[in-house]
Amino acid sequence: MRAHMRPSHGRSSNGRMAQLGLCLLLGIFLFAVTSPLGAAAVPSLSILTPANDQVIGNGTPVIVSFAVANFVLVQPGRVGQVGSPTEGHVDLYLDGVYSRLLTRVEPISLPLESGPHTIRLQLVQDNGTPLNPNVSAFVRVVTTHGPAVGTPRITVVSPKPGPTISHDLYFAVEVTNFTLVAATGQPNAPNEGHIQLLLNGVLHQEPRAYDLGFIVDMPDGNNTVIARLVNNDNTPLNPDVSASVTVRILGAADPTASEQVTAGVTLILTAILLVLLFRRRKAARRFAPPKAQP
Amino acid sequence: MNARILAFLLATVGMLIVSGIAAPQVRAAPAPTLSIVSPSPNAVIGNGSPVVVVFAVTNFNLTDSRNGTSSPDSGHVDVFVDGGWTAKASINTIVLALPSGPHTIRLRLVTDNGSALNPDVTASVAVMMTQGPAGGTPGLSIFYPREGALLGTDSTISFQVTNFAVVPPGGPAGVPNEGHVRVLLDRVYYADLTDVAPLHLNLKDGSHNVTLQLVDNGGSPLNPDVRVGLHITVQALVGRVTRFDATPFLALANLLIGLGILAAIYRKLEAR
Repeated sequence: MRAHMRPSHGRSSNGRMAQLGLCLLLGIFLFAVTSPLGAAAVPSLSILTPANDQVIGNGTPVIVSFAVANFVLVQPGRVGQVGSPTEGHVDLYLDGVYSRLLTRVEPISLPLESGPHTIRLQLVQDNGTPLNPNVSAFVRVVTTHGPAVGTPRITVVSPKPGPTISHDLYFAVEVTNFTLVAATGQPNAPNEGHIQLLLNGVLHQEPRAYDLGFIVDMPDGNNTVIARLVNNDNTPLNPDVSASVTVRILGAADPTASEQVTAGVTLILTAILLVLLFRRRKAARRFAPPKAQP
Repeated sequence: MNARILAFLLATVGMLIVSGIAAPQVRAAPAPTLSIVSPSPNAVIGNGSPVVVVFAVTNFNLTDSRNGTSSPDSGHVDVFVDGGWTAKASINTIVLALPSGPHTIRLRLVTDNGSALNPDVTASVAVMMTQGPAGGTPGLSIFYPREGALLGTDSTISFQVTNFAVVPPGGPAGVPNEGHVRVLLDRVYYADLTDVAPLHLNLKDGSHNVTLQLVDNGGSPLNPDVRVGLHITVQALVGRVTRFDATPFLALANLLIGLGILAAIYRKLEAR
């Protein structure tokens, strides 16, 4: 019985070992299946440049560089193409509007109008459907015709302060760290706008970009002209950037030339008349009869 | 009877074979297609920006091949603007810088050697280009001088334009938000302004009416009409300090003194 039991016990032990080994293999399989390391790599998309909220100055296009991982970019609509969640292309949206279809990981040049913009990239499958879960990246930028950095300044170059006889004056200003553009209702952008000229506190004119201001028929006396930098929507910069010059317009000459000439003639005639009267009195005294002696 | 049934069956099978139902695997490959995804038809492209055309193809391989070999299901896209060949594209996005006005963009699939497919595969879209903004309502206002102002002989009219690009006349008519500023002086044509620089006037004394009006490249008023008017009064030497001028009084004095001189000379001669 014992002898019989031993072999029987040995078979049971082997069976347990086999069950244990099977469980171990099953565990390894389940671990491999559920392990993140073992799962298929997830597609990813990232924007390398520009940086978020970057200011792109001087009217230059925005160069967008991006990287794609675990996803193959291919031309959609190829012959015999079979859709795959790891294959497709990139859709580019500019300010929410579909703009480009990208099949190559290479920098894109986007010429944008001045103002804030949002650029969004999205991975989509060959048939245009977004991945699940959605894979996208976006970046906000601000474009401007002005410099990206620097503090705007304005100075009045001409006329110089002081008296002048002209009632019509050209105004020349020098602007730094600011680009002048025609205002047509476009969005505001950093270091970009136009100039306003205020005559004695009243808005008088907005000269054409990089043109002289010209104020005509200025009144006699002191006149203060303020040249002010403003945004595209005519609001002053913050802080205000302006320069002023005060000129004194001289009125008509005092006395006038005709008045001087006429007064000179008057003097001469008066002198002649006085000489005549003096000589007449002298002559009358010489030829007068002597007075009787008392 | 059996022969008839047999013949009928044979005929049916033959028709099926001829119609291809029995041999779907030998049907021709699906034909290539081409469609324009963006821009939408009759889209307005504003601010002088280039138009970005995105297209989609099916059953066609876009290639940049120039080796001369040609396949009916691979090649590139020829781009025609207003009927003229403009560019060649082997990627799905084309950027075209076009002048103001309406344009028709037509895309056509061609093989690597440049020949059109058979049948021809094309797609087209009409767009409107403008230097002005794509949307928004044009506006015009005069900010100097104020209504009813008293001005000197030389004066300046300063104005502002919004949502409208001021360009020289001569461009295509009907372009939205683009044109020039027409000046009417006392309700008569005076000038066309091609930028927003202040308007300089030299007017006679009296009351005047100055009207500014936005017009399109063809000189037609916008719809709805956008205009602004201003009444001014012109008076010479406004703002000038007028000084006392003694010339007339001095002249009268000269006359009297001259008469006195003559009288003195006459008396002298008479005394002799």
